[in-house]
Amino acid sequence: MTSQTIPEARVRSAPDLGVLLTGAGALLLVGSALLPWAGYAGFPGKMTLSGYPGGARLYVLLLALPALALLRPLPGRAAALRAAANVELAVVALTVYFVAYAGGGFVNVGGGVYPAMIGAILYLVGSRRLPTSEAVAEGVALPDASWRFPVESLVVAGTAGLALWLFVIGLGMPSSSIASGSDLTLGPLSINDVANSGQFLAYVITIAGVALVAGRLGLLKSLTIMTGRHPKLFVAAGFIAAAAFPFTQNGSGESLSIAARIGVFAAAAVGLNIVVGLAGLLDLGYIAFFGVGAYFGALVSGSVTSVTGVHLPFALTIVLGGLVSGIFGLLLGAPTLRLRGDYLAIVTLGFGEIFRITVNNLDGSAGPSLTNGPNGVSNIPDLALGSFNFGANHTLFGIDLSFQSNYYWLELLLLAFVMTSFLRLSESRIGRAWVAIREDELAAAATGINTTRLKLLAFALGATLAGAAGTVNAHVVKVAAPDSFTFIESATLLAAIILGGMGTVPGALLGATVLYLLPEKLRFLHDLRLLVFGIALVLIMRFRPEGLVASKRRAREFHDHETDPAAEAVA
Amino acid sequence: MSVLEARAVTKRFGGLTAVKDVDLVVNEGEILGLIGPNGAGKTTFFNCLTGMETPTAGDVTYKGAPLPKRPDLITKAGVARTFQNIRLFNNMTALENVIVGRHTRTKAGVFAAVGRGPRYHREERESEQTARDLLTFVGLGRVGDELAKSLPYGDQRRLEIARALATDPGLLLLDEPTAGMNPNETAAAIDLVKGVQARGIAVVLIEHDMRFVFGLCDRVAVLVQGQKLLEGSPSEVQSDDRVIAAYLGKPTEAETAGDKQ
Amino acid sequence: MDVFFQQLVNAIVLGATYGLVALGYTMVYGIVQLINFAHGEIYMLGGFGALTTYLALPSGTPAGISLPLMLVGGIAVSVTAAVIMERFAYRPLRSAPRLAPLITAIGVSVFLQELVRNFYPHARSARNFPQLVNPDYQIRLGSNVQISAPQLLTVTVALVGMVTLSTFVRRSRTGRAMQATAQDPDTARLMGIDTDRIIVTAFVLGAALAALAGVSSGLQFGQVDFHMGFITGVKAFTAAVLGGIGNISGAVLGGFILGLVEVMATQYAPDPFSGGAWKDAWSFVVLIIVLVFRPTGLLGERVAARA
Repeated sequence: MTSQTIPEARVRSAPDLGVLLTGAGALLLVGSALLPWAGYAGFPGKMTLSGYPGGARLYVLLLALPALALLRPLPGRAAALRAAANVELAVVALTVYFVAYAGGGFVNVGGGVYPAMIGAILYLVGSRRLPTSEAVAEGVALPDASWRFPVESLVVAGTAGLALWLFVIGLGMPSSSIASGSDLTLGPLSINDVANSGQFLAYVITIAGVALVAGRLGLLKSLTIMTGRHPKLFVAAGFIAAAAFPFTQNGSGESLSIAARIGVFAAAAVGLNIVVGLAGLLDLGYIAFFGVGAYFGALVSGSVTSVTGVHLPFALTIVLGGLVSGIFGLLLGAPTLRLRGDYLAIVTLGFGEIFRITVNNLDGSAGPSLTNGPNGVSNIPDLALGSFNFGANHTLFGIDLSFQSNYYWLELLLLAFVMTSFLRLSESRIGRAWVAIREDELAAAATGINTTRLKLLAFALGATLAGAAGTVNAHVVKVAAPDSFTFIESATLLAAIILGGMGTVPGALLGATVLYLLPEKLRFLHDLRLLVFGIALVLIMRFRPEGLVASKRRAREFHDHETDPAAEAVA
Repeated sequence: MSVLEARAVTKRFGGLTAVKDVDLVVNEGEILGLIGPNGAGKTTFFNCLTGMETPTAGDVTYKGAPLPKRPDLITKAGVARTFQNIRLFNNMTALENVIVGRHTRTKAGVFAAVGRGPRYHREERESEQTARDLLTFVGLGRVGDELAKSLPYGDQRRLEIARALATDPGLLLLDEPTAGMNPNETAAAIDLVKGVQARGIAVVLIEHDMRFVFGLCDRVAVLVQGQKLLEGSPSEVQSDDRVIAAYLGKPTEAETAGDKQ
Repeated sequence: MDVFFQQLVNAIVLGATYGLVALGYTMVYGIVQLINFAHGEIYMLGGFGALTTYLALPSGTPAGISLPLMLVGGIAVSVTAAVIMERFAYRPLRSAPRLAPLITAIGVSVFLQELVRNFYPHARSARNFPQLVNPDYQIRLGSNVQISAPQLLTVTVALVGMVTLSTFVRRSRTGRAMQATAQDPDTARLMGIDTDRIIVTAFVLGAALAALAGVSSGLQFGQVDFHMGFITGVKAFTAAVLGGIGNISGAVLGGFILGLVEVMATQYAPDPFSGGAWKDAWSFVVLIIVLVFRPTGLLGERVAARA
């Protein structure tokens, strides 16, 4: 931080080996992106064409661009380039592997592969040799001028739009020739499956890499400062962009239905985040509360397979589903929440199992007839609000919309509600009390907080939100069956908020998206999905326990150190 | 007029009697020092007063009413405390720490927090204003946005006092408020405790720094081996042979009188 | 009454398995306050280790030779897995916030299950386990009450394991160091106890006992399965809590009581909640009831207060 002028002087006087190597590597990579990578047709991204950087070559190109920073000694440059080079090598290696694998051997790769491999290695070696005593990049706050508001608004809204655009691209990437959603072993995979998986993986890694580079250059911190100043604008822009998504689908519903499921998964994750992230209570049976809502919703949906025969209006169903689930939360939490924390984990796990066993058994033979046992309550009819039928396609502003968009919007509303609740609670008297309990329960009690009552509140509220989300989900997937509510589902939800960053909404969204989308898109991993999941949990806890998006309290920590030298360094 | 009356408070852990038949009266607006050698039961006595431990016997009244059992209710009733080994909410800012202290004096629940009506906003503004005023009062007005864990040690002690004051106490219990402080910080702490007294809040403090205790306190009580040895003005206590003996470890009358410890 | 006594025998056999696995939970929890969620998988690995040993032996090896070797093989696999797990997953997190090691434990548990499912030959569904001890060989205990040979073996192995452990912990130097570490790790360290080694010892002992349980359940049911550790693990933890976590005799007692509850509820619970379909649910109901009414367990917990 203090010695930032020294390397600058050195760079000017004689460009050192690191700069030369990095630059050469980057140039080779850019060149390789314009050459064909595959010697056969069929790999996504027109990889046989030359002079056109399609498919994964675009990512290679993108990750070589940070080398432009060699021209000027920006703060954080060396760190950014090291990150870019790491990710670049990963993308190149991955893509070469997949191209070769899908093409039946390394002999079938195109000519661009060789400069790419050499370039990636030079890039890596060179970036390691860059002078490292450069300043750490800090976030930049724009000066308080009349143009600040429009510029910041544009950046903030643009960021929300960009995030959604990237999400839509990822979602729209072809995943497989086989219908998605099946959990069976698929047998030998087609070349298509492999190639698509490779392309998708390269895409995700590239996004992560670009984010990493932006972080090293201080751009993310600047962005955090700006969004922190216009939080409402950021949320509104994100919401509008999300709401506009169905209009881009040309009447197709496949991506929408995946997006809707991610939405409900994310809503559940945000709800769990109240319990785990804010109040620090480990709930390993959260999916059971979701399940209570789902079964409640299914039983009063008017489905022919429901034994109740009751058909309640949907608005009432959501509220009641949430309440019923919340009551379960109270019943379970009241006796256990005064115990040590990890007992709660095991009790919630037990509750999850009891729930699954119970709904599995209430089939009329092993127990009273209520849930149809393993088959579940199926054929849940489409929703109807007045004359508006959720199951029909509609046309709006002259654009065809598949019926899935109705459910997508419903999920979006649910997600918006859950997110708003989370954000507002976390910044309120109640949320502060939760965090205080998490930080130091004894001190919280001495400060006047009724810790048992507040923990119970968090637990029951989490259950209520999960229940409400469950009723919605039952109508989206049209079935409530026991095998959707296993322990592994609870663990996945937990992993989503841990991966994303405990106690944050963007973290929960990101975690939910990644954990839902990866298995959906990476067919070749299908059987190893849980294996990778287990390893990932261990590695995250070991190396980045705060998750991808560190909580705002940490962001504030960075923010405090954002002082004048940083701004000067960039100016 | 007394604020707190403790009568025959006893705390036993298995065979060990940590606090035995301690009577203590705290008068309105006074600063009372509680001294005694290590292990005399001072902190245990504090814990009994604040609901962290349940006394084995004895009763405590605050402003004439029996003190509730749970820590949060005791705080709500008006008895606040700090801890010997500072216990802040480390990953919250200094300001948030103090705002948490307003918990018992505010009402907003889940629905108010999600709905955010005008009353909610008014209450939040008031909490924040009170907290900022208190931070300024303890001399931390400029570090409100710092995380509690990143504050220097002396500031953390003062922040803990600000958080306790935010609960609007009538009685503040300070457990070794100057432990680990340098002479300058200790001097500032004297002013701070006097400032608290000036707000009409009675203070009981456990302290090992005798200059601090005798320079500041209106009365001093001495606790030795779980029992109150004597109680009086600083000069009375200072000149009492038994106190000196207790600190130096000579046998005292109490012990020769048959105390089995 | 015969039905009752027969079920009592079954309950004791089941309880012996739970008790053996519970010991691992209770020792580790007593010392590092970690619910080693993956301990159930260590039990499962014991079964697979023994199966591997059996398959490696030439066919026709007499049971008197292969059985002890299988026990050794099972223990070796379980202990190795436990030591690696402690060293690379848990030890780096020793000073981390409490949620971190628990989440890691879930990760390790999922990983071990999937490792076996994907890479052990034909382990996607249950694998047959050699019936070296003939289950048709029954010992009559009453007119209509009997105990089969594998059942008897399970109980014997469990009792020997439990007595050995208890003697070890009470008499040996290391055992006393374990008790000291459980009481107060910091003081134990000051007294010159290598707490890292003590923690590993607790993992090793727990893994060895779990392996015994894994092998004997393989012999009893004639099969081992990659997810057999999950439910057994959670129930064994319940047993540990039931007896008082950290308390070694408590874990054994808890195991037997849980076995009793499960078997008797399956037999005698009011219709329609009896029968095998509900037996797991009953165990969890017991867990919740115990925690409500006696959170420190029947014999009291022995856990160091963590500062």
